[in-house]
Amino acid sequence: MEMERTSTLPEVPEEILAGLCPPRLTPEKIQERLSYIIEKDRVAGDLPRRFLEAFAAVLQHTNYRQVIDSYARIPARCSNCACACQIYQQTKAPEDVPCYRSSLLLDVYRRHFTLRGIVEGHLKDTPLLTDDLILEMAETYYHCTACRRCTLECPLGIDHGLVTHLARYVLSEIGLVPRALVISTRAQLEGPARNTSAIPWPAIADTLEFLEEEIADDKGVPVKFPVDQEGREYIFFAPVSDYLMEAETLMGIAAVLHAGGLGDAWTISSEFLDGINYGLFYSDWILERCLREELAQAKRLGARKILIGECGHASRSAKAFIRTFGGGDEAPPVVNILELTHRLWKEGRIRLRPDTITDRVTYHDPCNLARTGWIIDRPRELLRAFCADFVEMEPRGPWNLCCGGGGGTVSIDEIRPYRTGVTGVKKAEQIRATGARYVVAPCANCKKQLREVCEDNGLSDVEVVGLHDLIYKAIELDGGGGDA
Amino acid sequence: MLEHWIALARGPFLRLALLAMALGLLRQVALQVWEISWAFHRAGDQVVPWGLAIRRNLEWLLPWRYLQRRERRAYNFTSFVFHVGVIAVPVFFAGHVAIWRQESGIGWWTLPPAVADWLSVLTVAALVGLLAGRAANASSRGLSRFEDWALPVLCIVPFVTGLWTAHPLWSPFDAQAVYLVHLLSAELLLILVPFSKLVHMVLFWVSQTSTELGWRFPPGSGERVRLSLGKQSEGV
Repeated sequence: MEMERTSTLPEVPEEILAGLCPPRLTPEKIQERLSYIIEKDRVAGDLPRRFLEAFAAVLQHTNYRQVIDSYARIPARCSNCACACQIYQQTKAPEDVPCYRSSLLLDVYRRHFTLRGIVEGHLKDTPLLTDDLILEMAETYYHCTACRRCTLECPLGIDHGLVTHLARYVLSEIGLVPRALVISTRAQLEGPARNTSAIPWPAIADTLEFLEEEIADDKGVPVKFPVDQEGREYIFFAPVSDYLMEAETLMGIAAVLHAGGLGDAWTISSEFLDGINYGLFYSDWILERCLREELAQAKRLGARKILIGECGHASRSAKAFIRTFGGGDEAPPVVNILELTHRLWKEGRIRLRPDTITDRVTYHDPCNLARTGWIIDRPRELLRAFCADFVEMEPRGPWNLCCGGGGGTVSIDEIRPYRTGVTGVKKAEQIRATGARYVVAPCANCKKQLREVCEDNGLSDVEVVGLHDLIYKAIELDGGGGDA
Repeated sequence: MLEHWIALARGPFLRLALLAMALGLLRQVALQVWEISWAFHRAGDQVVPWGLAIRRNLEWLLPWRYLQRRERRAYNFTSFVFHVGVIAVPVFFAGHVAIWRQESGIGWWTLPPAVADWLSVLTVAALVGLLAGRAANASSRGLSRFEDWALPVLCIVPFVTGLWTAHPLWSPFDAQAVYLVHLLSAELLLILVPFSKLVHMVLFWVSQTSTELGWRFPPGSGERVRLSLGKQSEGV
């Protein structure tokens, strides 16, 4: 393969490029090493130079520099984080300690972007950044599930999840991205269907019509999925996969809003309805584009709030960043459906039949909802209201274990053996220990991952469901609220 | 001969070491404060939970945070004991405060001598414990750099020689030599502070604040990165 450059060079000071070693791997070798998770065709030679250019550009235009600079100086290497990392606990491989993983990028920063590193590099003449190291970073940072459990354990306050995010961002700018994420994002932002699963709108419209009929059959009440309605309180973004695979979650949500008297207060946008935001996993550029789409739809339809369905990363990306791109205080508030359902139930606007579910039920905390303490008790209160036998997993809440498919890894089908045989093993043990029949996971990613974890770890009797799947069974729709 | 060196070590060397540490730390603090303000200025979302962020750092100062842990409790608690000693003895030992008072006229509360003795012994024990804990734990052994081994060893020296200086009868060596080693090793540590992981003594307080601001993006930053890489016309 020709080692050609696809872009003009930005201005990178020579000191930053100092100490680069000539590529030791041929482009062919690189292609081989990148294996299946990387979009091979976008990778050309000369990786170290391109990596540093991208790193320099990112440091210049973002707010990462101050935090990376601090992280590069303070680590005490106590390895407290190792105890928190379920990947390390499974593999016991030194390269899986979060602090080690972060040190790969931090060392590159120290060596090429700090005065001392540059001087030391000249004195010792030790090239740090090589093709091998970049490939190691690509491998290790995309294998981290970005669950951020280790951040709770770092006495010095280092957020290894942030380092993983930043490293992936830089890697993605030189074309080192899991193919699955790129294809989905491309379909969502640049494809005709405008969603990550590339489902054309007519197919989704058919699905919605079908779901309305199903609800009418099940419950005998006309519940609607409003589309492109203007001036509503909520504009609703679910992960698009729900329209394909999690119909009961959507039916549950529609039923709750109908029964709670909000049937006329929400809408879906036919132009852009997908709440998935893989930018949170690997690119600030993508993150911003996805959120700007959501903001544009809210504006187009005059909706006042953004309502996110059962999806952890869609919720966190909107909740944490909508103010950034939506003009601070002018940005619409972001509400997760669990918050809204809980409020409606608390206010007595929806009723859930006690003991509807008699089988044992347990609850999995999605990292993006629970790690920061955002949504922990509310779904449990709802479950206790209609489940006769609710049991907890340990640990839980902010200390929960990741499903094993976080950070976008669940979308990479090629690494299923890794997800269910390494990252998901502790989760499987946790689920087994509860003896539950239903595992409730209010997150599309967690649901897909947990189903595969159960399948591959001998838990075939366990059913993984969304919270609203079960609420749909328990909610009383007779004459309550509705569109009236 | 040794008196001459001791006079130098007690006087100009000590002042130089303190000055080097102070200037080094000042530079770090100034840079960090500047960078944080600049990040805040550029952030699209300027609602930053300053108090919460700093509180999250402060929580780690208290032993209960370590005792809450399920694993490596002993190691973490040892670390807590070490930190108490490594701050309290140099700052509040009566002999040290006397030197400050003599040189600058400023003095402060001091540890009772017996407490200072015991704290020094505990600190040395904690340092040995930390080294052993680091060596015994596979993940932390694998992570350790040269400085992670060298700094605790170096830290033991001024504490042991300090004890011997305060109690010459306990010492098997010449008192003056011990005193000189005490001074020089402590000064070396002071000088190393800004250039090693010891710099966390100032950066620790705001690391969570830095993290918060790291997650607060300047709007349009993604586009600008693409632009400066010449990729404005490329798609996803």
